[in-house]
Amino acid sequence: MKKAVILNLSPRKTGTSMMLANRCREFLSTRDYLVEILHLYPNLKDLSPLLTAINEAESIIMVGPSYIDTYPADTFYLLEELEKNRDILHGQDLYGIIQGGMPYVHTHESGLKMLELFAGENELSYKGGFVIGMGAMLNGQPLDKLLNGKKAASGFEQFLKNVAKQESSPPSLYYQAQLKIPGLAYWFMATLMNRKIDKDRREKGIGDQAKSPYDNLEIN
Amino acid sequence: MITILSDHTRQEVGERLDAKLRERKIDTDLISLADLNVDPCYSCGGCTDKTYGQCIHRDDADIILPKLMRTDVLVMVTPVKWGSYSFKTKRVFDKCAIIGDRHYYCKKGELVKGKIGRVHTFVAIGVKDQWKNDEKDAFKNLVAENIKIMNIKGSVHLVDDSNISACLESVTEDLSQ
Repeated sequence: MKKAVILNLSPRKTGTSMMLANRCREFLSTRDYLVEILHLYPNLKDLSPLLTAINEAESIIMVGPSYIDTYPADTFYLLEELEKNRDILHGQDLYGIIQGGMPYVHTHESGLKMLELFAGENELSYKGGFVIGMGAMLNGQPLDKLLNGKKAASGFEQFLKNVAKQESSPPSLYYQAQLKIPGLAYWFMATLMNRKIDKDRREKGIGDQAKSPYDNLEIN
Repeated sequence: MITILSDHTRQEVGERLDAKLRERKIDTDLISLADLNVDPCYSCGGCTDKTYGQCIHRDDADIILPKLMRTDVLVMVTPVKWGSYSFKTKRVFDKCAIIGDRHYYCKKGELVKGKIGRVHTFVAIGVKDQWKNDEKDAFKNLVAENIKIMNIKGSVHLVDDSNISACLESVTEDLSQ
């Protein structure tokens, strides 16, 4: 039985990254894999459970959100720590999954590139990844709830098949799965989302012209 | 006001840029990340549900974010590894979303977000001892996406020992205008 470790790079344990991690675990478990999901954030002070699991796995799958166009800062910390413990990296396959609020894959793809460059310098075999837009809107619900749900779910399934076979997964899979709608539809989406933002602000008693709390803080 | 958010680089790029801008009597604020500690964004939703627009965790972002609220130009000086910002730089950047305009806009047929505070120009200076071409491309792409999503002007500069003086001169010249 092969071993795979899925690393949840999100600080949340119930959001879209975890939904994707769980889907990945379910899939690989049916393909003769022993799969473990480990969370980065509760282990930040002591990464040894992650390091042990990585050392023992044939495949590593990193799943996380996109914060300002790439994985959160602490993913970088994890990679730096892995580099310091290079003896546990011995040719394992590395796959990345990144999901973010914007619907375009180009917005989030830098996260995968970072993993690829890291793998190239550190005895890992980067085999590709999958990018999912509108992950924030999904908020942990299954992929088929997306506007492009059918295509996204099918593309992700194909990606998981590649992971199970330890084969390379091409970017074309997630490019084909991304939402494609005219610019006018995005204008409409922006209008609807902005109305909701303004409504939420009014309900919290915050006016449209209210200053940020940081504007009122003293500068040291 | 130009704010330089600078993580430590052997070549002291942030400090040198600050000195050059000051020589030209430009109002600058150099924030050195060396002695500051910003905790992770835990995506807890506190900045939306509890203290709107403010992180509920107290750390040195309380020193940095008020300054970023009042600046027009943000310059980030960061060591680059695997085509990405340094860990300390990215910790700050992750929290910048709190002071970003939450509204969506359309630009060139795509959704984008708004500015951080009143920042209208973002300049990223990536520093590395030796650049490989794929890492250059990765960092340039990342910064281009950042500029696009913030819907502001910006530029990216790749510095190593061979071009540091020329790069600082060029950035200073651009920012002087």
